[in-house]
Amino acid sequence: MLREAVVAGHLGARSFHLTAAVLSPSPSQPVSAPIPSSTTSATEPITALANRDSNQYSLEHPKNKAEYVLSTLDKVANWARQGSMWPMTFGLACCAVEMMHMAAARYDQDRLGIIFRASPRQSDIMIVAGTLTNKMAPALRKVYDQMPEPRWVVSMGSCANGGGYYHYSYSVVRGCDRIVPVDIYVPGCPPTAEALLYGMLQLQRKMRRSRKGVLWYRK
Amino acid sequence: MVSLVRTLRNMRRAGLKEWWRQMQYIGDAKYGRFVGKDQFGNRYFENLNPEEEIPGRHRWVDYAQHEFHASQVPPEWHSWIHHIRQSPPTEDAVVKSLTPPWQAPWVENLTGTRGAFKTYNTAAPKIQSWEPKIAARGA
Repeated sequence: MLREAVVAGHLGARSFHLTAAVLSPSPSQPVSAPIPSSTTSATEPITALANRDSNQYSLEHPKNKAEYVLSTLDKVANWARQGSMWPMTFGLACCAVEMMHMAAARYDQDRLGIIFRASPRQSDIMIVAGTLTNKMAPALRKVYDQMPEPRWVVSMGSCANGGGYYHYSYSVVRGCDRIVPVDIYVPGCPPTAEALLYGMLQLQRKMRRSRKGVLWYRK
Repeated sequence: MVSLVRTLRNMRRAGLKEWWRQMQYIGDAKYGRFVGKDQFGNRYFENLNPEEEIPGRHRWVDYAQHEFHASQVPPEWHSWIHHIRQSPPTEDAVVKSLTPPWQAPWVENLTGTRGAFKTYNTAAPKIQSWEPKIAARGA
């Protein structure tokens, strides 16, 4: 994998992280043409090419009527969830100021249905905005545990992503993903309100991909 | 700025089909000068008349893909739509003459797909884990 990345760097090309089955198919299965690393097609964009033969592709394409119904129900649930994302504000440092900017008039998160809630019981997203210290970590975990399912976590800024400037400090957690599972990492120090809003849109994308019903049926 | 008069006027100007597409994707009836199309088929528009469009909403993009997001706009058009450059890349002399031949093709954000970025390290690790070597016990 490492060697592959180096080669790709030399060629200036991008490689997909493919499973072993796709990379070296069985002798009975013919080797498909290599996936191009860029395309200009609107009907089969690069995101579709990257997901060719993946589990996600399989989940999004129902095989029978039950799966069709379930994936449609999943889509309805996804639509409802992505239209009312209520984040728990976990503002810890300067990132919180940018998070407030996302709520303010210029970027106006309310038009996406994002409303800050002060209570973890009413929220489904947690935005970890700022440096997570060792002292704050148990509180963060407790708040996360109080949130109802389904829940998502957005890690905002370098400090929450991986410790950032305080990575070598004795009192700072080196990334909030050591405490809670993170869905979206927003880079920046601090990220602009625009970047955070883009991160929220990426989270919407992630919500749209969910096919929990189909997954349950296949199991 | 959204008024019935403006909606009807833009509907008439853009055409019913275009209006329907705008309501599906942009959510507003807009009409303006067609500025250009990028390599992905995204179409770019501009309306500089402050009576018709609020300044700030006067440049917009109509995405080619159904699952659209902002990273599908290539960097040349990004600089136009964000007013980093005044003229579009089809007209801008600097962009036209100074695009380097080694420039890689633009790829949209692949987060969530198998093309997503993963960090890697090419440097040798500075810390090695301890590999205990046990000497054989003397008989």
